[in-house]
Amino acid sequence: MSRRVYLDHNASTPVHPEVVVAMLPYFGEHFGNPSSVHGFGREAREGLEIAREQISHFLRVGKEEVLFTSGGTESDNLAIKGVAWARGAGHIITSQIEHHAVLRTCQSLESQGFTVTYVPLDSDGLVDPADVRKAIRPDTILITIMHANSEVGTIQPVEAIGPIARERGIPFHVDAVQTFGKIPIDLDRFGIDLLSFSSHKIYGPKGVAGLYMRRGIRMVAVQHGGEHERRRRAGTENVPGIVGFGKAVEIRSREMDAEAVRLAALRNRLWTGVESRVQEVRLNGHPTRRLPGTLNMCFRHVESESIVLGLDLKGVGVSAGSACTSGNVEPSYVLVAMGVPLDWAMGSVRATLGRGNTDDDIDYVLEILPPLVERIRSLSPAAVS
Amino acid sequence: MNYSQTLIDHFRNPRNAGMMRDPAGVGEDTFDGCGDLARFYLKVVDGRVSEVRFQTYGCGPTIAASSAGSELVAGRAVTDLLALTEKEVTAAVDGLPDERLHAAQVVAGALRAAARNYLTRRNASSAAGVRQHV
Repeated sequence: MSRRVYLDHNASTPVHPEVVVAMLPYFGEHFGNPSSVHGFGREAREGLEIAREQISHFLRVGKEEVLFTSGGTESDNLAIKGVAWARGAGHIITSQIEHHAVLRTCQSLESQGFTVTYVPLDSDGLVDPADVRKAIRPDTILITIMHANSEVGTIQPVEAIGPIARERGIPFHVDAVQTFGKIPIDLDRFGIDLLSFSSHKIYGPKGVAGLYMRRGIRMVAVQHGGEHERRRRAGTENVPGIVGFGKAVEIRSREMDAEAVRLAALRNRLWTGVESRVQEVRLNGHPTRRLPGTLNMCFRHVESESIVLGLDLKGVGVSAGSACTSGNVEPSYVLVAMGVPLDWAMGSVRATLGRGNTDDDIDYVLEILPPLVERIRSLSPAAVS
Repeated sequence: MNYSQTLIDHFRNPRNAGMMRDPAGVGEDTFDGCGDLARFYLKVVDGRVSEVRFQTYGCGPTIAASSAGSELVAGRAVTDLLALTEKEVTAAVDGLPDERLHAAQVVAGALRAAARNYLTRRNASSAAGVRQHV
């Protein structure tokens, strides 16, 4: 295998070389505990606060409104449980296609007596703000809707949902793990009170994420221990990771806009190429309100994993929409919620582009993907009958 | 997911793929967990499998196991196939990860079904033959 093409940037991204350089001193030279009073600690603390500055500057918020966590999942847990537990009881509104970090957190709160409404999606994967408005009850304590779904990339109308929440005085949390650093987020205009965002989706290291908490939002801590992060998240900060995260955000702030245009063009070329070469293929997600680098398509009468394996053998990394665990393949709950028929949903493949991808990569995929689909389909009894 | 070279080879170059006209026996099996489906067609000479074809919808391992399963049963007595196990199919692809054992299950199940179908047809036609001679 010589050629390798990575098309799974919604899963993770390679760390930017400048980020690696920025992180290195914090493994050795500046290894101190940022909570320590001495010089070693102060050096680590300085790295931490520079990163906080880089991120708060990017989000145009106060430094004290940004806290660091271990990942998008922790940020979601902290935002949702933190608000819910501070109130003790109540009703939460979310959508059917949230990331599991939100869905399962909401489910766990249901088992603690909270009630949850899961608003539906249309066939493009969009939440209707009117459905959110209708779901509001006198005891609604939180609305949590993702900015963009990782599988299909549909960008939710958070700018229309935020004002609804604001009007009713309900905190609004947005899981922006897939959009932060990729498309603009205007916290004030969108009316967002809590925002989860992650490092490794934007060429930073894994194991680091952030949570924006608007000043005055009533929350309790979810994990307890020391006085870190203003007592909102106990645990020694991952200093090298956070330093890298800050650097990654700084780089995104200068690359994001041009990169979004470039990736959308590459992504569209991949789709039109596939569509013109392969029969019975459909695009999933909103045609225009979609993450620039995300392409999710369904090949009828083909199981996604066979395409993923076939492409993998040619050095191309994409992901399957349906995930098989212990022989149990569930079609993607996102596609099911969007009403994609089962015989299509089982054949969903996601290609997500990033800064390393070129026109040559797209040419290569267009050369190998159509014959692969053709070959696998020729084996399938469903396609014949 | 780590797959054996044998499995990869069968996935890349499936043997005996396609449908068969006028098979002596045909059988299929599905795996409800993931909707995988394998269908096998048999031709039989002197009680032994003389030709096999398969059609499969499924993940890479299920496609590979179908191909390997088709080679596994070629030339064998049809009555033997009634007891074909998923273990034999798993061995024919040099092992499967635990989460993909269903690939061997669905293939072994489909091959047993094809063998049963052949024997049922044969018994039915010989019973019909006996009646004609009475």
